[in-house]
Amino acid sequence: MTATVRKKHFSLAKSRRLIQWLVVIGTFIIGLRHILPGEASRGGSFDSFCAFGGIETLLPYLFTGHTLKSTNLLNFSVLLGTLGVALVAGRAFCGWLCPLGAVQDFVTEWTRKLLGEKRHVRGRRSKIILPLRLPASLDRPLRYAKYLTLAVILVASLSMVFPPLREFCLVRAVFSLKMTSLLWFTLVVFLAGSILVERFWCKYFCPLGATLAIFNKISPVRLIMENNHCNNCGRCDIECSMDIADVPHHLDHPECVRCMECLNTCAREGSLELKIG
Amino acid sequence: MKIHPRYYPAIIIAAYVIFLLIGILLGFGPKEGGEGHGRGAFLPCLCLTLEVPA
Repeated sequence: MTATVRKKHFSLAKSRRLIQWLVVIGTFIIGLRHILPGEASRGGSFDSFCAFGGIETLLPYLFTGHTLKSTNLLNFSVLLGTLGVALVAGRAFCGWLCPLGAVQDFVTEWTRKLLGEKRHVRGRRSKIILPLRLPASLDRPLRYAKYLTLAVILVASLSMVFPPLREFCLVRAVFSLKMTSLLWFTLVVFLAGSILVERFWCKYFCPLGATLAIFNKISPVRLIMENNHCNNCGRCDIECSMDIADVPHHLDHPECVRCMECLNTCAREGSLELKIG
Repeated sequence: MKIHPRYYPAIIIAAYVIFLLIGILLGFGPKEGGEGHGRGAFLPCLCLTLEVPA
């Protein structure tokens, strides 16, 4: 069978990058608003715009009728928006709309450029040493750390006044512009991790990603593989930011952030198709 | 049903905005303001609704 080269008139990667930049700029604006005086009178602290804040304060709200301090009822709306995306398209929020995911993608891209990669060729393994791929013996158990983080936070939230993760909150560390020594420490660890391992936070520690992972199995908008067309060239495996092995056979993998880089990289038309239902 | 990839970003954004608005319409807005500790009307209303038949 001869390979059909996919004609690309529309770049999904460029759309994603544009949306990610808009999300990052929007979050910075919320952070900027956070440091201006009179924030309280304008409704909602910085934390109240966080989707995960909704999860952190959900159990206390159900049991006491009050949200945790620094969170707000708006957290539930933001969480509902995130769950809505997950219901429709799985972990697409992580791949497209999460500001931390976007920052990690930017850090990876800039690291590659700083280390001398002039132009990233899609589907070809880079000669640049970073980002690293952790050995499977370390990678596999670490992937479960995010579920443990989620469980600990849910249990801890019942006896807390502020959200349990607040002092180490990555979104605050990157965007809030109100830094403490703990947040500086968190920021340095996050940046170092993101330089060393692509999507370091998403893979190993993100509790929101752990919450959304199950939706990859049930969401109606999904990628499917046409067996007759795929020749297992492995280009999609190389481009996968979440390092999922054998991507065409694991399109509903809980780790997949639905960034669509595999679809974008695939050179054989009809091998991967986006479907609803 | 196949979808053209060009519609994928619009689907994601539309889903986010629609569900966010549903949340705000349900009363989960930033009305309480300030440093949080909000108390919504949704939960008390739900409790009252469930208590009425009893």
